[in-house]
Amino acid sequence: MPYSELIKNFSRVRDYMREFYVYGFKSRDEYTKKSARSYDDEKRRMESLLGDRMRFRRTAEGKNVFLSIDTRVSRRNPLYKAWKAKSFTDGDITLHFLLLDLLASEKSGLSVPEITDRLSGVFPDSARVFDESTVRKKLKEYEAEGLVRTEKSGKSLLYSLSCPNDLAPCADMLGFFSEVSPCGVIGSFLLDKTDAGEGSFAFKHHYITGALDSGIAAELFAAMREKRSVILENANRKNDSVAKIVAVPLKIMCSAQSGRQYLMAFVPRFRRITSFRLDNILSVTAGEECERFDEYRAALAGMRKNMWGISTQSRGGDRLEHVEFTVRYGKNEPYIRQRLEREKRCGTVEDIDGNTAKFSADVFDASEMIPWIRTFLCRITEIHFSDPDTEKRFLDDLHAMYGLYGLGEEADGNAVQ
Amino acid sequence: MLFSELYGAYYNAVAAILKKAAEKPLTKEEMRQTVEKYAFGESFVTIEAALRNGDWPLLGEDGRSVLKNAPEMPLTLLQKRWLKAISLDPRVKLFGDCIPDFPEVEPLFTGEDYEVFDRYSDGDDYSDEGYIGRFRLILRAIGERTPLRFEVKNRTGAVSRFTAMPEYLEYSEKDDKFRLMTSGCRYGSVVNLGRIVSCEECFGELRGSPPRERRRAEETLVFEITDERKALERVLMHFAHFEKEAERIGEKTYRVSLRYDKDDETELVIRVLSFGPFLRVVSPQSFVNLIRERLMMQKKYGL
Repeated sequence: MPYSELIKNFSRVRDYMREFYVYGFKSRDEYTKKSARSYDDEKRRMESLLGDRMRFRRTAEGKNVFLSIDTRVSRRNPLYKAWKAKSFTDGDITLHFLLLDLLASEKSGLSVPEITDRLSGVFPDSARVFDESTVRKKLKEYEAEGLVRTEKSGKSLLYSLSCPNDLAPCADMLGFFSEVSPCGVIGSFLLDKTDAGEGSFAFKHHYITGALDSGIAAELFAAMREKRSVILENANRKNDSVAKIVAVPLKIMCSAQSGRQYLMAFVPRFRRITSFRLDNILSVTAGEECERFDEYRAALAGMRKNMWGISTQSRGGDRLEHVEFTVRYGKNEPYIRQRLEREKRCGTVEDIDGNTAKFSADVFDASEMIPWIRTFLCRITEIHFSDPDTEKRFLDDLHAMYGLYGLGEEADGNAVQ
Repeated sequence: MLFSELYGAYYNAVAAILKKAAEKPLTKEEMRQTVEKYAFGESFVTIEAALRNGDWPLLGEDGRSVLKNAPEMPLTLLQKRWLKAISLDPRVKLFGDCIPDFPEVEPLFTGEDYEVFDRYSDGDDYSDEGYIGRFRLILRAIGERTPLRFEVKNRTGAVSRFTAMPEYLEYSEKDDKFRLMTSGCRYGSVVNLGRIVSCEECFGELRGSPPRERRRAEETLVFEITDERKALERVLMHFAHFEKEAERIGEKTYRVSLRYDKDDETELVIRVLSFGPFLRVVSPQSFVNLIRERLMMQKKYGL
C-alpha cells in the first residue's frame, strides 16, 4: 500500500505518538525491529500532522525523533489531530456531501429509492453511481451516528436530516472543556464547527497524552453507563505480552499530577477491585450486563477513604498500612500547614504546637505516598511507617539523596576533619 | 464511533472549500490556504487533485460547488452525549446557558464514572455567584480587549487596586484554580481569580502597547535519571508537559533538559525532590544549591 497521510487503524499512531512525545530518546533502530517501513511512514505522518513540533537530534546511535510541546503555551492539544486523520474512500466523501445536501433541501423525509434516484440525477453522465444498497447502508450508518432520523410512512421508511445546532455561543466553553474534560477530543471536533481562534484559555500542569486513550475511555464509559462487563486486551510492557481480562469497569481515575488515567474495575478471576492503566489497554469489547455492578461500585466508594492513589492492596500483607510524619515550619510559613491540608487525599492533620503539625493516615499502600512526603524534605522531624520495609526504603533513599549532593556520611567525616 | 472520518480534517477542509466555491471558483492559492487551515501538512496535494480530477466530483467543470446548500453537518449522537456530560460539570456555570438542551440524550459519562484523584482541595468556588459574574465579565473583556479595574485581596488580606488589560485565563487542573494573565499594569501581571474582590470595565486608555503574551523568565533545568523502580517512565510522564529533550547517556541513565518558568522554581524544586535518589539535578548550579539547602536542613533533623 502506498503511503497515505490518513490512517485506517488508530492503534499504531497511538503508540508512536506516545513514544515520540513522552520518551523521545529512542533511535530509529529501536523502532524498526518490527518494520522499518512502518517507522518511516509513522514519522512522516507525525511530521505532517504536527509540523514543527517534531524535532530531530543526531546522536551516536543515529537520528532521534521527538515531540517537544510546552503545553502551557499550546492552547489546543495538538495530539487531537491524530483523531482527525481517519481514512475513507472516494465514494464515502462524495456520498457524504451529496447526501447531506440532498436531505438539507428536503423538509419532508425521503425514501431510499427516492434518494438514490435523485443522487443519480446529480451526475447523469458520471461514472460515479450509488446503488440503493450503498445508499441504504450509509443512511443506516448515519442514523446510528445521529446525523439523520427516520419516520415510517406506510411501508416506507423516510429519512431526513437531524436539526442543526448553533455552537458559536459555546466557543469559549468548548475551548475550555476540550482540554480539561474526559474525551475532550469530542469538544475539539465541536470547536472545528466554529470559527474560534486560539481561544481565551491556557493551561498549566497540562498533560495531553490522555488524548490518545480517548477511544478506550469512551468505550469504558459506554460500558459503565450500561452497567456491563467488558473484555480488556491489556498489554504488559515488561514482557511484551497481551492478556485478555474480563472485568467490570467501575470508574476512570485520572491523575492531575502525572496525566495517567486508570480504570478501576472488579475482576471476577481475582475476586477484587484492581486498577489498569488506560494507556496499556489495547481494546475494549462490551460484554454482558452485570447484576452486581452497583454493589461493586459501592465497594469501591467505601475503599476510597483509604486509597492515596489507585492501589487497593498493601505490599506487606496487612489490609491497611499506617503512615505518620511530623513537619516543622516557621512563624512566617503557615502555608506549609495549609499545604498538608489542601494536598492530602485522605488522613488527618493534627497541630502539635504552633510550628509543628503531624499528618497520619491508614492507606492500602503507603509506598504511594512517598513522592508526596518527599516534597516536605527539609522539615520532616519524624516519620513512621507500619511496614518496616517501606520505612527502611524511605530512609535508605533519603541517605542516597544526601550522597548524590555531597552530603553523605563521607561529607560528615570530612567536616569533622 | 470516535475514530471516524465524519470528524476528520479532510471532511472539514472539503466542507470549507465547498462553502467558498458556492459563489465563485477558488484559485489554487485560495484552496491551499483553506486546506492548510483545516487539515495537515501534506493534505493539499491529495485534496486538490481529488477535487480537480473528479475522484470526489463535488466541484463542477466551472470550479463551483455542485451542492445546493452550504455544507453543514448536524451534531452526532456522540457529540450530544459529550455536551450532555459537560452540562453536568460544576465549572459549566462559568459559561452561562450556552449548551443546547438534549432531553432525549444520555450523558457520555457522569461524576460517578470519572474522578481526578489528586487535585488539591482548595480550588476556586465555582458555585459562588460573585465569582461566576467576575469570570464572565473577564472572559468578555478578553474577547473585546477592554481594560478592567480590579480590587484584589492579597495573602495578608490587604486590598490593592489597579487597572490592567486582561489577556487570557490560565487554568491548572492540579490546583483547580484560574489565574488571569494581564498586561499594562506595573504591579505584576498575574491575578488569581479567587483573590479578586471586584472588577469592572474601564474604558480609559492603558499606557503603552500591551503584549498579547506574558513574557516568561525561562530557565533550562538539566537532570539525570537512573532507571530503577520504573523511574524513567515516571519522571518522563510527570514532566511531560514541559518543552523538553531526553537522551540516553548510559545503560540505565538518561539526561533530560527542560525549559521552565523561573517564577515556578520553588514548585519545580519540590517536584524534583519527590523522585528521590533516581533524579539528580546537574544544572543550573543555583537549582542544585536549592536542592542541597533543603537536604542539609533535612539532615539536621537526624533522619
